[in-house]
Amino acid sequence: MYLIGSIAIPAWHSVLLLSPALVAVAAVVVVRFVGSLRSAWTVARIASIVMMAAAAAAIAVRVLAGVRSGWLVRADTLGVMMLALATFVGWVVVRYSQNYLNGDPGERRYIGRLLTTLAAVCLVAVANNLIVLTLAWMGTSLALHGLLTFYGHRHAAVGAAHKKFLLARCADACMLGAVVAFFVAFDTFRIDGIVAAAASTSSLPMSARIGIAFVGLAAILKCAQLPFHGWLIQVMEAPTPVSALLHAGVVNLGGFVLLRFAPVVDRAVETRTMLVIVGSLTAAIAALVMTTRVSIKVSLAWSTCAQMGFMLLQCGLGVWEMALLHLAAHSVYKANAFLSAGGAVRDTQRRHLAGSVLAPTITTTVVATTAAVAGIIVVGWVWSTLPFGEPLPASVWVLAGVVALAVVPLVSPLSGAAKRLVQPATIAAAVAVPVVYIGLHEILGQLVPHGAAAPLGLLIIVAVALAATFVVQSLCMIKPMGTVVQRLYPWIYGGLFLDETFTRLAFRVWPPPTPGHDPSPLPRAASPIVNRTPRPQSEHPPIARIQHAPISIGPVS
Amino acid sequence: MTNVAESVPVSIADLLTIACDRIAPTWPLDQFIAVNPYWGWRGRNITDAAAALSVLAGTELTMPRSWFRSERAAGRIDDHQIDAVATLAGDVGLADLVRAVLDQPSGVGGQGHDDTRAGHHRAALITDLCDAGSGPRRGQTWTNLVIHQISQHCAAHFDHEQGSWHPSPEGCLFSSWQNLLATDHGIPWRRGKSWARSQLALLEDDPNAAISSMLDALGIPGAGRTAYLTSLLLSVNGWAAWCAFNRFQAGLSGGDNDDIVDLAAIRLAWEWLLLGDDDGLVGSSLLADWAASWTDVPSRSAAVAADQQVDWLLQAAAERTYQADIITGLAHAPMVAIEPPAVQAVFCLDVRSERFRRSLESMSPTVQTRGFAGFFGMPISYTPVGSALTRPQLPGLLSPALNVTERSISSAGAAGTDGPAEARAALAAQRSARLDRRERWDLFRSAPSSVFTFVESTGLIYGPKLVEHSLANDHSAPRWENEGLSKRSIDSLRVGLDLVDDDPAAAAAIAHGVLRTMGLSSGFAPIVLICGHGSHTTNNPHAAGLDCGACGGQPGDVNARVFADLLNDPTVRQHLATLGIDVPATTWFAPAIHNTTTDQVTIFDTDGAPEALLPALDQLRQWLEAAGERTRAERSASLGLGHLADRPKQLKRAILERANDWSQVRPEWGLAGNASFIIAPRQRSRHMDLGGRTFLQDYDWTLDADASVLTAIMTAPMIVANWISTQYNASTVDNQRYGSGNKVLHNVVGGRIGVFEGNGGDLRIGLAEQSLHDGRELFHRPLRLSVFIEAARASLDSVIADQPIVHDLIANGWLHLLRIDPESGAVERWASGGWLTA
Repeated sequence: MYLIGSIAIPAWHSVLLLSPALVAVAAVVVVRFVGSLRSAWTVARIASIVMMAAAAAAIAVRVLAGVRSGWLVRADTLGVMMLALATFVGWVVVRYSQNYLNGDPGERRYIGRLLTTLAAVCLVAVANNLIVLTLAWMGTSLALHGLLTFYGHRHAAVGAAHKKFLLARCADACMLGAVVAFFVAFDTFRIDGIVAAAASTSSLPMSARIGIAFVGLAAILKCAQLPFHGWLIQVMEAPTPVSALLHAGVVNLGGFVLLRFAPVVDRAVETRTMLVIVGSLTAAIAALVMTTRVSIKVSLAWSTCAQMGFMLLQCGLGVWEMALLHLAAHSVYKANAFLSAGGAVRDTQRRHLAGSVLAPTITTTVVATTAAVAGIIVVGWVWSTLPFGEPLPASVWVLAGVVALAVVPLVSPLSGAAKRLVQPATIAAAVAVPVVYIGLHEILGQLVPHGAAAPLGLLIIVAVALAATFVVQSLCMIKPMGTVVQRLYPWIYGGLFLDETFTRLAFRVWPPPTPGHDPSPLPRAASPIVNRTPRPQSEHPPIARIQHAPISIGPVS
Repeated sequence: MTNVAESVPVSIADLLTIACDRIAPTWPLDQFIAVNPYWGWRGRNITDAAAALSVLAGTELTMPRSWFRSERAAGRIDDHQIDAVATLAGDVGLADLVRAVLDQPSGVGGQGHDDTRAGHHRAALITDLCDAGSGPRRGQTWTNLVIHQISQHCAAHFDHEQGSWHPSPEGCLFSSWQNLLATDHGIPWRRGKSWARSQLALLEDDPNAAISSMLDALGIPGAGRTAYLTSLLLSVNGWAAWCAFNRFQAGLSGGDNDDIVDLAAIRLAWEWLLLGDDDGLVGSSLLADWAASWTDVPSRSAAVAADQQVDWLLQAAAERTYQADIITGLAHAPMVAIEPPAVQAVFCLDVRSERFRRSLESMSPTVQTRGFAGFFGMPISYTPVGSALTRPQLPGLLSPALNVTERSISSAGAAGTDGPAEARAALAAQRSARLDRRERWDLFRSAPSSVFTFVESTGLIYGPKLVEHSLANDHSAPRWENEGLSKRSIDSLRVGLDLVDDDPAAAAAIAHGVLRTMGLSSGFAPIVLICGHGSHTTNNPHAAGLDCGACGGQPGDVNARVFADLLNDPTVRQHLATLGIDVPATTWFAPAIHNTTTDQVTIFDTDGAPEALLPALDQLRQWLEAAGERTRAERSASLGLGHLADRPKQLKRAILERANDWSQVRPEWGLAGNASFIIAPRQRSRHMDLGGRTFLQDYDWTLDADASVLTAIMTAPMIVANWISTQYNASTVDNQRYGSGNKVLHNVVGGRIGVFEGNGGDLRIGLAEQSLHDGRELFHRPLRLSVFIEAARASLDSVIADQPIVHDLIANGWLHLLRIDPESGAVERWASGGWLTA
């Protein structure tokens, strides 16, 4: 169905689609040669506006002229939406960075790397050639690497970026594997060709199954899914707008690429299973880990990890419209959250105005959960009886269940004061949320195809994972001192220690480079010089008893 | 070996007290007031303290020599002053040594800090010894791993805001750390996890006992233990400062808190564990030498002090060069008799007031301005009506005696014709319902099983929000404390002391004390402007650091309004008259706030102003507006807006846009540049342009026969000024330990506790690089505070003799004390117990 209405793309239209990337590249060159920093920033800002305008024009042409595609680029709804999203986030980030990095010794370097990253993302969005897509995606990661190591003197920055580098190269290898596999299967590098060919077969050839599995694996690696998530959490060592760009415009490209191959994924049950299992586990675990984090940015990073997991499980379930919604909504939400992370203190002060709410009890939780689930069933049923509505597929019902659990805090009696047991306004909000949710599902359903029905097993995995999250979350609120919650805490706090294991293994294979010189304008203290040349051991080591009896006065009894 | 420890009569608790007292507290970000991070060292001479800190922590108290070179090249170090300080040090020949150092080519040895400086003196800890072997993983150091683990644990333990799932709050920091480390599978122990667990099980539960046995096990001799423990605490200085704050807060309410002892035990336990884990160290002669070396700290410090002598001479010469202009200016004060003032405007003694006051005074000779601590002596805490928040509105060293909240003044309040108490209750109920809704929404936004739905159903709304935040706007900031109140109820609210109604005599006694300290007990102008200050910044974790420090890091509007309300009350005025202060019925106290970011002044509660004063009030508003314009023009260059200096409208707009800009890392310069404090009548300095670098406190020695006001000033505002000045200096000379690093990496911890720079590491205290440096050069040049006081020698001598803290600060060189002779205006400086011509 992707090729229906698709016609050959004229050259001017290809140029229009490529223009955001070209403008960014041109700006990179200009910035290198332009005199003052101030004009360098002006160039970057103008470029980011032009890129946005080009993306808007691409949307307009898509609406007027329909889907067109060629050997290099494709003008379809998904592509131009992604282009618009990327250039919008790019504009916000460029604007933000100008004042934010003012006075930094590396400003000009920063501008170049930022624009290069944006160019690569824009190319990913419009590419219709699997090789170009692979290279652009790789370029995104390489350019971003320059931003993540912008403070190359910081150990943690270098270490985290190095981890990302290793994983991204693995993902690139997967994509190369996919290129080969799909070429073997369908004799083309054109993505729309691959998708059309896959859609026309009754069952996918093995090479195509391998190809899409490679794409799925690349998405898992690049979307920072457990246990490959550590780098995403630890790259808070780059300036805040880099985090915003990473979380809003780069890490979600995995979801975008899967959307590109949606009809192929739908036909490959093993890839779907992989996405659902990894996505569900990541969503459930990372969301819980998020609640144990102590700093705002790290908490936001775990949240992204969880959100990407949710997006991938939606891809696996074939609810593509919700995956697209998730990709776009999370993008703008998280960009805003990072860029305004400095407001965390003010948010705390505001919360202090309200004081602490009392913890819910088992009874209130059960009542609220029952009410929410019943409410969702009613809303879903009413929706399907409306003239424009239609019966919701099983996978959407599972997600509706997730919505029901989500609105529990809105309907749950939390506060101590009896008269505030029920707040009409929050109940109204609890009703509005699923209505908006299903409404967006319907609207976006017009833009991307409905996927194939998901196997029951996958639905069960998702349901169990998210229900478990809800149960743990409720236990934490009801009995924070309970044995279960306290036993679980060290594991969740430690992120199941997955990253430590991964890091140990990865660094054994390929150790990170040495951090560079600290360019700070303020004086720095040096480390002490320690000479550890072993002196000949004396015959009676003075405190050898450490070895045998570390503390002789331990718990004696 | 153990005999050494036993032979020292000092108990472990005493050792710990000495070590812990070295660590100054840090306040949370929502009350981010300045602290002198060397406060615990004030009992020692600054040069000795610097040398000791150099050995124990690798920190320096002065700038690199390359900086002094460029200061001299810029004319900010006068060669005559180098001679003068050498003479004062008792060896004229030192001047040549200093000059020789300055004449060396700059840039030798990286940053140029040359030979004597930087960390090379620092005594190694076990973590350093381990790092000199092999790190825990490729590319990592044990030091970083240890600090990170301790820091994350402290954050999890102390956090109440960011996370919703915490380790058990039962038990102390030390025991929860033991529990968590025992279950940590991420530490690459060489001897394995179970070994570490068995080691942890050997530790006593009581941190004091555990510390004692671990020190024994490490073989640290008794005489070296305090130094070692201090060094350990300084290696996690950020969290040590947080624990010190907990202890300080507990002390204010008469309690105690041992978090800092727990922290010392944790840090020491890491040393002990790593030692046992390192085969190359256990039992080696290296270790024995290392342990024994802790007794050498005093002699090593003495050697460092000798090395640093040149640096301190340079520092003093820079300070004296700065003082010279002020000394000349003070001597040439016209000291003209003041015309009867039309307006008396009382500002905070903050350095930012200096600029504004100068501009306002230039409007008319009938404007008299005065400087006083910006909390106006109100010993209050503030609870926004109907909220659960109560916060101190007074200097951090004091604890509030009274609580204030708003009351409804209009008869058409929220509850119609009910009495004030009922109106307040109705308002509170309405508000708490609104806040409760917000709370639920927050939970919906953050609960693990809600976040996915939250993003999908509401995430797209953030698209327009991103646009809104990205585009410039010049709105004035809404007061966040009013959240959940309707516009109408906000207008009907007035904050004030209940004491005014309940016990006017007691209220008058408070007012009397404040007016007397202020030196304002007669000659009242028709309008007395009580002008607090606050800042307006967006997306700034350290916003409170730009608010009024005297109000506990809050805007001073509450204090100004409470104080004015107190003084405008007729009954209070009657009682005041009986105490000897006669406020004319024609005088009105006008509360106001000076926005230091935008230099706008807002006058409050003008509905209470007498009819006859309205024209004068209008005139004052015009003056304030014009003064703001002038002040903004003066500040424009430092904000990078110099091109708008002659275009007031555009400049004002640009500055307002900065205040609202979520990406602005230098919305205003705060107190950067502060270097002096003048405690004298304003006539003494009114003719001078002090460049926004001077604290100003009005003090008339003729009204203070018993020196009680002088004592109050030298034990409160002078100490606060020392804390501020030292915070700025320490953040500049060692930003890694006493500053918070790069603002673009700031990551708020626990919603309010502090920031990490980047992903983790120690809690960061103090000021960010961006608050001290404009990207090209240092904006804050670290000079010790020069305090000029116009008073009789005898009074000053008596205060110094009677007040140990004042004595320590002055005699140990933590600040300069200079006396202005009331008759001649000549200045003399305090030096080694006597007075020398400056």
